[in-house]
Amino acid sequence: MSKKTYDLLFKLLLIGDSGVGKTCILFRFSDDAFTSTFISTIGIDFKIKTVELRGKKIKLQIWDTAGQERFHTITTSYYRGAMGIMLVYDITNEKSFENIIKWLRNIDEHANEDVERMILGNKCDMTDKRVVSKERGENIAREYGIRFMETSAKANINIEKAFSELAEAILDQTAGKENNDNQERVVVDRKNQEKSPAYSRCCTS
Amino acid sequence: MSAYKSRLKEFENLIIEDEIDIKKLRKFIHSGIPECAKYRALCWKLLFNYLDPKKKNWESHLERQRNNYNNLIKDLVIPPSCKNVDLSIDHPLSDNVDSTWSTYFRDNETFLLQIDRDVRRLLPDISFFQMPTAYPCKLVVDSETDIRLHRRVAPSVLSSANVERKGLGMKKINLIVKRAPENYEAMQKGQEANWEVVERMLFIYAKLNLGQGYVQGMNEIIGVIYYVFASNEDHAEFAEADCFWCFTNIMSEIRDFFIKTLDETDMGIRGMMNRLVRMLELKDVHVANRLKEQGILPQYYAFRWISLILSQEFDLPDVLRLWDSILADENRFDYLIYVCCAMIILIRDQILENDFEHNVKLLQNFPPMDINYVLNRADQLAESSST
Repeated sequence: MSKKTYDLLFKLLLIGDSGVGKTCILFRFSDDAFTSTFISTIGIDFKIKTVELRGKKIKLQIWDTAGQERFHTITTSYYRGAMGIMLVYDITNEKSFENIIKWLRNIDEHANEDVERMILGNKCDMTDKRVVSKERGENIAREYGIRFMETSAKANINIEKAFSELAEAILDQTAGKENNDNQERVVVDRKNQEKSPAYSRCCTS
Repeated sequence: MSAYKSRLKEFENLIIEDEIDIKKLRKFIHSGIPECAKYRALCWKLLFNYLDPKKKNWESHLERQRNNYNNLIKDLVIPPSCKNVDLSIDHPLSDNVDSTWSTYFRDNETFLLQIDRDVRRLLPDISFFQMPTAYPCKLVVDSETDIRLHRRVAPSVLSSANVERKGLGMKKINLIVKRAPENYEAMQKGQEANWEVVERMLFIYAKLNLGQGYVQGMNEIIGVIYYVFASNEDHAEFAEADCFWCFTNIMSEIRDFFIKTLDETDMGIRGMMNRLVRMLELKDVHVANRLKEQGILPQYYAFRWISLILSQEFDLPDVLRLWDSILADENRFDYLIYVCCAMIILIRDQILENDFEHNVKLLQNFPPMDINYVLNRADQLAESSST
């Protein structure tokens, strides 16, 4: 079981307000299924999926977090280990969109500087309940220089694409680093993954 | 007489007394409640300290508590529009922060929305919470004005997206925005679903405990208690009021798990998780070291185990059986830690074999296992600690 069957390991994190569909997005991606009756996530959940990009097998280790404010002390300790963060809002919920700013600030405070970020406007299949236009999502993404996509876990729109784009961006970054600075490779070095500095650091925080 | 029958007899003798020997009862219940469908609700009311051991006090106490609860509904759930308030000083557009209306809107934002979201995804594996209750709250369902809590937070937006255009003409105007098409749909007038009842209880609890408010996970705990009371014929009629007070009692013991600022204290959630780690180090140092080496923090799994009293880790019947033992223990939350520790030890061989990912998955999705087996192991751990 401990035999490595992948070339690289990327750690991703899903954040956003409660009820925007983080768990559903992850479930769609990892199990290709949808259910509207998910229990609320308490603390943090975890899924794995291996994808192939540019001939490399990449294992995605994806952490799904609870959205409610109370859990932030627990969940922000995961930010530092993340190489990519998906920030999810719900296009039928104005507040969840307004809070994007708050979540971005959280990322600034707690995540690595070079973390790849992506904003997802989820539930885009629910056109009759939409309150946040796609344009507003695009604008905020442009303003902060972040990738953006509208998704639907239910109708399976852009889920696969969102994860592979994020993974690709991380791959670009790590490839760039390999050329410039070999020491940085330790971040994705297979031997060190299980006890990367990210994890030991969050014990003490 | 079979062992089961004699055990049942012993139990019935215990609860038939005018004054129930709670100490004996606790000890007895630790290994389960016989005829649990019939007796669990009563036993839990005793274990939650809601019912006094002296039976003669029950009637007046229950009447008082149920009345108190009804008054809370009148005071806190009925919106200002249904009350006699002076409209010249108190109206929906009032700037006064103390106006009943500004409180009304603030409550919607701060916790009702979250409660509504969570009660609609409560124990989706069983249909119970989506079903109507036989005893809806008359004040709410028979009222002429619409005072259901979930309507306060239902989005009522008329957006241009509702008008479908095809070619030149306007094709379809969809004025009515339907909400929550899934199974957790609200009931017609005169009826209400069990999740609506849970919503009301959580709303009142949050109103009475504003400092703490509503925290996700409370829904799971109150859901278990309400299920036990409401699915028992003899206890269903007043399940809501009784459940509310029992929930309040148990929350007074575990509220620290739900308060962020107390996370680092002994009774806070991190303190509890540290106790689990220390216990595991004592009971099975190999497994403890393995988890440590792999960087598997208790936050990854035990945060949910402890704060929800394991209610999400097993199927409901097993959760109920587990809670019998935990509630019956004099030191409930010490025992909870023993159970958590036993769970880890029971899958030790896999943990020692697995890599990081498989171990996190294993701990977050605890494998199906005979619950009595888990409890026996917890008892052994507790015994070996006391000697």
